[in-house]
Amino acid sequence: MIKHRVLFVALVLASVSVAPALRAQGSRVLNIADARARAAVEREIAQAEARGLPVRPLIAKAQEGVTKRATGERIRVAVASQARRLEQARDLLAPSPSEAELVSGADALAVGVPAPMLRKVRAAYPAGHSVAMPLDVLTELVARGVPANHALEQITQLMTRGATPTQIASLGASVQADVAAGLTPDAALEVRARGVMSLLPSPAAAAALAPRGSRP
Amino acid sequence: MSEFERDPIIDKVRDTLRSAPHVAPDQRAVARVLSSVWESPPPSGWRRFFNTWRVPALSGLGAGALAVGALLIGFVTRGAVNPKQQPEPLAATGAPTGEFPVQTVAFDAEAALVQTQFVFEHGDAESISVVGDFNDWKGEAMPLTRMPNGLWTTTVPLPPGRHVYSYLIDGTLLVADPRAPKSGDADYGNEGSVVMVFAR
Repeated sequence: MIKHRVLFVALVLASVSVAPALRAQGSRVLNIADARARAAVEREIAQAEARGLPVRPLIAKAQEGVTKRATGERIRVAVASQARRLEQARDLLAPSPSEAELVSGADALAVGVPAPMLRKVRAAYPAGHSVAMPLDVLTELVARGVPANHALEQITQLMTRGATPTQIASLGASVQADVAAGLTPDAALEVRARGVMSLLPSPAAAAALAPRGSRP
Repeated sequence: MSEFERDPIIDKVRDTLRSAPHVAPDQRAVARVLSSVWESPPPSGWRRFFNTWRVPALSGLGAGALAVGALLIGFVTRGAVNPKQQPEPLAATGAPTGEFPVQTVAFDAEAALVQTQFVFEHGDAESISVVGDFNDWKGEAMPLTRMPNGLWTTTVPLPPGRHVYSYLIDGTLLVADPRAPKSGDADYGNEGSVVMVFAR
């Protein structure tokens, strides 16, 4: 009787520990018709996972290809590219970027933001503050046609002046709307950045208000 | 005589009791004992826990069946408490802002998600859903509802940031939102739309 109880407890513990792993694997099942292509995509994801990269964005990239009816080989190439971008973003956003930051960094690289700019964005916020939103806005500005250097300069200036992610996001959305309304991307960014800047304390006031040892 | 009854201590107690004179029990003493037993505190949680383990006597097959049940429960509960799971969409509470492509209508501060409305105009579709990086491009995750005026709409909670999306018509045709800025697609060459989501 005691033997059975021990067996039961062991089985329950094993079930609890194995269930998450099985479930995670189950979520990786991709609806790619070609079995060889599916296996190749699975291998790409497994290799990326072995390199310590997050799996979810890679599964999402593969699923995006399925929804877009891409060929299996194209999906594999896309997943491999996304893995490379995630890895590059991890290095550029060191020391400990979150998954959201990695995805934002990878998206920035995908639209053509020069890699060193990610490092500059990371440096403009104190450690521990997420740079996902500033990266998203930088990506969007560059995608709308703002020269990358100009976009980076405006965003990092706002960041060092203490602009919140929400304020930086509102800049991106405003520029997006202005460009759609016919304003040139450069001009839209210039005027909207000035608008956000006017809401922030002056550099001297920000420095005075900031607690000792922290960045302005 | 059983092995239990041959215990030397029990033998000694039995002999002592047999040699003692017969005494009628004191009814008040019995009542006191019964009363104190009745009023004694219930067993602690730990004792109750261990007591429960005295009850079942499982066969190997029974233990295996229970373990399979536990495995299923593990699957179900893990999905139910997944911290990344998005809550059900809330009802739209704010006035449209007039901005494209979506209107941010409410902010769910606790979940840090922003209620975001998608609007699409399409006359003769059977079904339309929005797919994007926020739902891993899964077709039927976020269906739109057809309005009497021919517009299709849904409001979903999205994390702040830049999101790429498209509309999936009748489960097969993927189209960008004509009211939203376009996104390039370096990987698949299939242009989508972009929405910047943030708490207003």
